This record gives sequence, structure tokens and C-alpha cells, in this order.
Amino acid sequence: MQTDWSVVLNFLPQLIGGAKITVQITVIGLFGGLILGTMAGLMRAYGGRVLNAIAFTYVELIRGTPIVVQVMFLYFAMPVLTGLRVDPMSAAVLAIIVNAGAYIAEIVRGAFLSISRGLSEAGLALGLPQWKVLVYILGPLAFRRLIPPLGNQFIVSLKDTSLFIVIGVGELTRTGQEIMAANFRAVEIWTAVAVIYLILTGTMSVALRMIEKRMRIL
Amino acid sequence: MSIIEFRKTSKHFGDLKVLDEVDLHIDVGEVVVLIGPSGSGKSTLLRCINGLEQISGGDLVMDGISVRAGKKQLRLIRQEAGMVFQQFNLFPQMTALENVAFGPRKVRGASVAGAREQALALLEKVGLSDKAGHYPAELSGGQQQRVAIARALAVRPKVMLFDEPTSALDPELKQEVLTVMRQLAQEGMTMVVVTHEMAFAKQVGTRLIFMEHGKISVDGHPREVIENPPSERLRDFLQHVE
Repeated sequence: MQTDWSVVLNFLPQLIGGAKITVQITVIGLFGGLILGTMAGLMRAYGGRVLNAIAFTYVELIRGTPIVVQVMFLYFAMPVLTGLRVDPMSAAVLAIIVNAGAYIAEIVRGAFLSISRGLSEAGLALGLPQWKVLVYILGPLAFRRLIPPLGNQFIVSLKDTSLFIVIGVGELTRTGQEIMAANFRAVEIWTAVAVIYLILTGTMSVALRMIEKRMRIL
Repeated sequence: MSIIEFRKTSKHFGDLKVLDEVDLHIDVGEVVVLIGPSGSGKSTLLRCINGLEQISGGDLVMDGISVRAGKKQLRLIRQEAGMVFQQFNLFPQMTALENVAFGPRKVRGASVAGAREQALALLEKVGLSDKAGHYPAELSGGQQQRVAIARALAVRPKVMLFDEPTSALDPELKQEVLTVMRQLAQEGMTMVVVTHEMAFAKQVGTRLIFMEHGKISVDGHPREVIENPPSERLRDFLQHVE
């Protein structure tokens, strides 16, 4: 078997272009997913019956179906149902928001509920409204417990973007696939793609670990 | 003048009747000590006063406001009824000073400087001015509980509720907490205290209430009741506590 690693160098600009799109989808998607997930998680933990039921249905619906099906639905089925066409990039970002949001909701719910009830009661007993107890007392404590499982979810979501190959988003995996189809350098190209993913997830891990270390974990 | 009025107050947990049509009036300046076997409803009685437990029947009026009047009114009640918990429940991410300054800042809308100054004065009052910058995890149980008392006082309540404040403490640490409570009583604070400290009840209490099966079974002057228990059950109970 002959390998020629100079191919990687030749196609590096293209691969980096793909990686940029991967990062873009991940960052915007996780930002939205964090907001959606925090809302859904708090609805699960503190909402009334109705809010709780809405959030529960959302979480179960998303956790129970594969992300590939979700993005196919967003890209191919939604236009038929609503008449609104979305471009592949938007469908990809939306899929990460919706998908990561469901998992983050459970992480958020768990983190808040793991905090001793006594602290919540101490806040309420001072005469604080529930939302201030959440923001000033439970929130900062929950946030510290969120980081490790959140890091996990971030890495999963980043790798999930590779599945958007099915709707033709030019992210890293798709770029690798296209280069491969032209020159059949499977070993070199897929190794390069894997290494780039590792660099991306590794950076994320290190960043999260730094945040974790800077906080006193309680 | 009554500041706390239980009017046929009941509380159920499912089928379990924890409070059974309790009638009780507590006046300004009283130091009421609540005792009773576990499950008799004494903690629940205390927690109903500031609405941490919702009453199921009757009414309960604190400082002229019914606990059933609504969320906003309940918050007003809570501002007037400071609470001290068995497990201290200090906010672990805040220093002692921040814990004490927190209530005035977020509930009363005090200025940063004002809240800080008041917090320092309260920490001094409970003998902990040298621990202002310490986190709860760096304090002993007795010190944590004294910070918790200062935190409750910082909101300037009219009444202080103590839910077994010394039960989680070693014997030698109990005293420093009891000393602070005695001092508060001497200043005329209205207090309702769930405790097993009979010496405290005798020396500081102005009224002793013995609860059984969700009802008040004995209500009298601590010294008289302790030295001359009017019921067999209370005599029995006192023997086990002392």
C-alpha cells in the first residue's frame, strides 16, 4: 500500500474550510441549544403542570428519534408541511439547537434538582420571589455542576454535525467525502479529517476544563 | 397584641393529619418553646407560619396578613419572620458577610455599602466579625448557625422562627448558638423555637407548648410545666429528653 501524505497538504485549505463550517454550525447551534435547553430544563424542574408537560414532550420526542431523521424532517418535510424552504445550513443549525436543547434540558434539570432543598427554602424564607432564588442562589451553584455533563454534550453535538452530510452541508465530513471521491486517497484524507475533529473536540475539552478549574466546584 | 394567630389551622400530607385544627395566639415579645415527640407536628407548625408548608384548612395570620392571601403577601410575611434551620442552609458560594448582606440587598433593596455595614454589625453581634471573609465550608457548625441567625436578622424581621437550631451541633457548639438566642430574647425579640434544650426553655422561654398528634396538649409557663408536668405523656417525654 502506498500512502502519499502530500495530498493532505494540497487539500488542507478545503478541509479547513469544511472545519470552519462545522465550527459555525456547532457554535451557533449550541448557543441556541443552551438557551432552549435551560428554558426547557427549568420548565421541567419548576414549571407548573402545563409547562412541565410541554417540556417533557419536547425532550422525549427529540431523545427518542435519531438526529439524522430530525434534520431530514427539518430540511425535506417542513417545506412540504409549511411551505417554508430552509437552506441546508439553517436546517443544520436548527437541528443542533433542537437536538442539543433536549439533552441540555435534562442536564439543567438534574443540576438544579441536585441542589439541597434547604438552600431554596433559606432563600424563600428571606422573602425572595422564586425567580430570584433561581438566579442568585441556585443558578450559580447549578452552573458549576453543569459543566462536566455539558462538556460531554458539546463534544457529542460537534461530532453530530458530521451527519448533516445527508442534506449536503459542506462541513468537514462532507468535504472529506468530496475530496475522496475525486482522488480515492482514503487513508490520507480520512486520517486528516479525524485529526481535525480531534483538534476541535480537544480544544473544547481543554477550554471547559479551564472554566471548571477557575470555579470552586461545590 | 397577637402577632401570630393560628385559627383552627390544619395541615395534611395526603391522608396523614399533621396539624389538627390548631388554635394558638402568640403575642409580641413572647419566647415560645415548642416541644414534642417526632412526628407530633412541631416543625410543621413552625413552617406553616412563613408558608414553607401550605396550610390545608383553617387560617393562619402573621402580622395581620393571612398566609393564604397570595404570593406577594406571603413574601411580606417572610420578610417579617426570619427563619433559622437545623441544617443552617448558608449559601455555600457566598462568604459569611455576603450571606448576611444578601437579604437586605435582594429583598429590602438596600445599597451595597449599607448592606455591608449592617452585615458587619450583625456579625459582630453574633461574635463573628473576624470570620466575615470566610466561606461556610471554612466555619464550624456553631459558627455557621450564628451566621445563619445574623442572615435572618439582617432583613429586620419582627419574629424569629428557629427549627431545631442546635440539633445538628456537638454539645460544646450548642452553647454558643444558645447564647446568641438568649441575647436576642433579652432584646425583646418575639421567638418561636422548636428545640429539645430544656434548660434553654426554662431559662429563656416565656411559654412552653407540648405537641402530640398534631394538637397542642400542654400550653403553659416553662418552669411550672417542666417542674410539674400536667400530663403523664409530658412527664414521660421530659424524662427522655433530659
